[in-house]
Amino acid sequence: MYPLLADGLVNIVQAKYLLPLVLGTLAGVVGGALPGVTITMTIIVVLPFTFGLDPLQGLAAMTGVYVGGSAGGLVTAVLLGLPGTPSAIATTFDGHTMAKKGEPGRALWIGVWASFFGGLLGGLFLIGATGPLAKFALQFGPWEFFSLFVLALSMVAGLVEASLLKGLVAGAMGLIVTVLGNDPVMGQERLTLGIPFLKGGIDFLPVLIGVFAFAQIMGEIERRGVHALSADVNRSVSLAVSHAKVIWEVLSRPFQLLWCSFVGVLIGVLPAIGGSAASMMAYDQAKKFSRRPEAFGTGTPEGIVASEASNNANVGGSLVTIMAFGIPGDAVTAVMLGALTIHGIQSGPLFISQNAQLAYGMFAAYLLAHPIMVLILALGARWMLRAVTVPKAALFPIVLVLCVIGAYALNNTMANVYVLLAFGVLGYLMVKFGFPLAPFILGVILGDQIEINLVRSIMTDADLWLFVTRPISGALLAASVLSLAAAIWQHRRMRKRAAANADF
Amino acid sequence: MKLSRDGWAGLAVLAASLFLFALTLELKPSPLVPIGPGFYPRLVLGLTAVLAAALVAFDSFGKKAIKAEGKGNYAAVVLHFAVFGVYVVALPWLGFRIATLAYIAAANALLDFPTGLKGWARVGAVSLIATALVYVVFERYLSVLLPRGRWTGF
Repeated sequence: MYPLLADGLVNIVQAKYLLPLVLGTLAGVVGGALPGVTITMTIIVVLPFTFGLDPLQGLAAMTGVYVGGSAGGLVTAVLLGLPGTPSAIATTFDGHTMAKKGEPGRALWIGVWASFFGGLLGGLFLIGATGPLAKFALQFGPWEFFSLFVLALSMVAGLVEASLLKGLVAGAMGLIVTVLGNDPVMGQERLTLGIPFLKGGIDFLPVLIGVFAFAQIMGEIERRGVHALSADVNRSVSLAVSHAKVIWEVLSRPFQLLWCSFVGVLIGVLPAIGGSAASMMAYDQAKKFSRRPEAFGTGTPEGIVASEASNNANVGGSLVTIMAFGIPGDAVTAVMLGALTIHGIQSGPLFISQNAQLAYGMFAAYLLAHPIMVLILALGARWMLRAVTVPKAALFPIVLVLCVIGAYALNNTMANVYVLLAFGVLGYLMVKFGFPLAPFILGVILGDQIEINLVRSIMTDADLWLFVTRPISGALLAASVLSLAAAIWQHRRMRKRAAANADF
Repeated sequence: MKLSRDGWAGLAVLAASLFLFALTLELKPSPLVPIGPGFYPRLVLGLTAVLAAALVAFDSFGKKAIKAEGKGNYAAVVLHFAVFGVYVVALPWLGFRIATLAYIAAANALLDFPTGLKGWARVGAVSLIATALVYVVFERYLSVLLPRGRWTGF
């Protein structure tokens, strides 16, 4: 493992890989810092730029976006009280309070160094766990894969904040997208509705780009949020600190750092929960374990460390599931999965053994992205404040043009652009009607694999009981039933609490 | 029995899944595999129909959650979708360069209406620079072929 990692590091420091990594990290930091732009939108924008690159260059750029974006969100969260990404919401509680008390530099750099160390701890998990998990997944037959994908889908549907039923309907709608066009086993045409371009089925990337980009941009337009934040920005603020002191402030809380990073990794491994839940949960945990819980929310460094360490460690966890099982942990890794597909690489248990150079290159890119992120923030944190003054009226149309290129360039056909528009409308409507997007997207991504594994297992042995009697498959199906039961219980409890609060 | 947004959404999903389910009945079984191309779609569409029906039922007979929601700027959303739709339709006819230039200018102006000559000049400059930059980066450096126009020839 270590020689391969060393090879990966040697590879990635070559200019042809380092440049995309630096540019990707820079794009991530800027995109993460811009309120309303999010990491998902940044990676969607970066995607078309990777089409002309080799796979490792493209993945290095995307890994950079992911790492940079997870840290970038804290800049505006701390300095303006506006989280650049949802995963930085918990950072505002203490980060912005500390900044308002006259220590913006300390608040920012505690966040940056916590992101750095949290991210590296997530990296240790990524490097150490991906191989063994992939080896474990190699024992899977079609029954186990079917059950694993069903578990992923039921977990995502159950863990969304909206109603469980809506989560399940959204997941089922995603599966419907994959049954249009052709049968993935025999290639037989089905449900094309007389539309010629549906004969080849629907690529998931235009669907994903359309759903996420439009849901977000149109949501912003609807809220009249297109105006720049120039009025709120104080560019003369001093961010100078003693880095040794700040690093000590972070490292002098080893238990908190380790625990919050662990929470981040764990949430990252579970599909589609995301960095925002990780940072909120870690913040909550840190408060519970703290000797001074009353200090949380008043500008304590503990709050910043908890939130930032966990949201960057979350990245490592998300990458594990995509590299070991081929299941995207969130929308960002779903785009990365799409980028791999474009280059003809199949993610999943065989990924690491068949593409060792690429996998370890990606690990190396992940590790190297952290010091690059620190360097970018050291050189440009103040400049980031200028970035938030970019008028969104100019930014949004350009982002949508890049989405069009991303969809068009997949097969050089306008059909994918029409799909982008259609699913853009659907994505916006789904958000308006309160349907979560994560289960829908996971349904679109996993639909074909669910069908292929279901058909393969029935072709191998028509006995359906095998799904339950094979130990791993049975355990996975039991876990999906349990996750749905837990979600029902949790939703009922929340409803009861809401009703009780309403009575008062 | 009055339906809320959830109920109407459930009805739409139910109708779509039943329509597609009916279409799967026309699919012929394959002689090579024990289950034909219609097996899995029927499973998925049947499941969706049941879930959508449950959503309608819960909405009709269960307690409705009252959501306080501010009025959004829906006219701007519809207008922006329309402008984007025109851009998508125009792309194969006008080609990437002209269609994109016009789209960025129109969308920018719609989102933040320019006042005075300076405002219009800013809109023009942003759209021109963005289109040129995107074109050069993708066509020249990343070898991504962008759509050519049937009317314009470029």
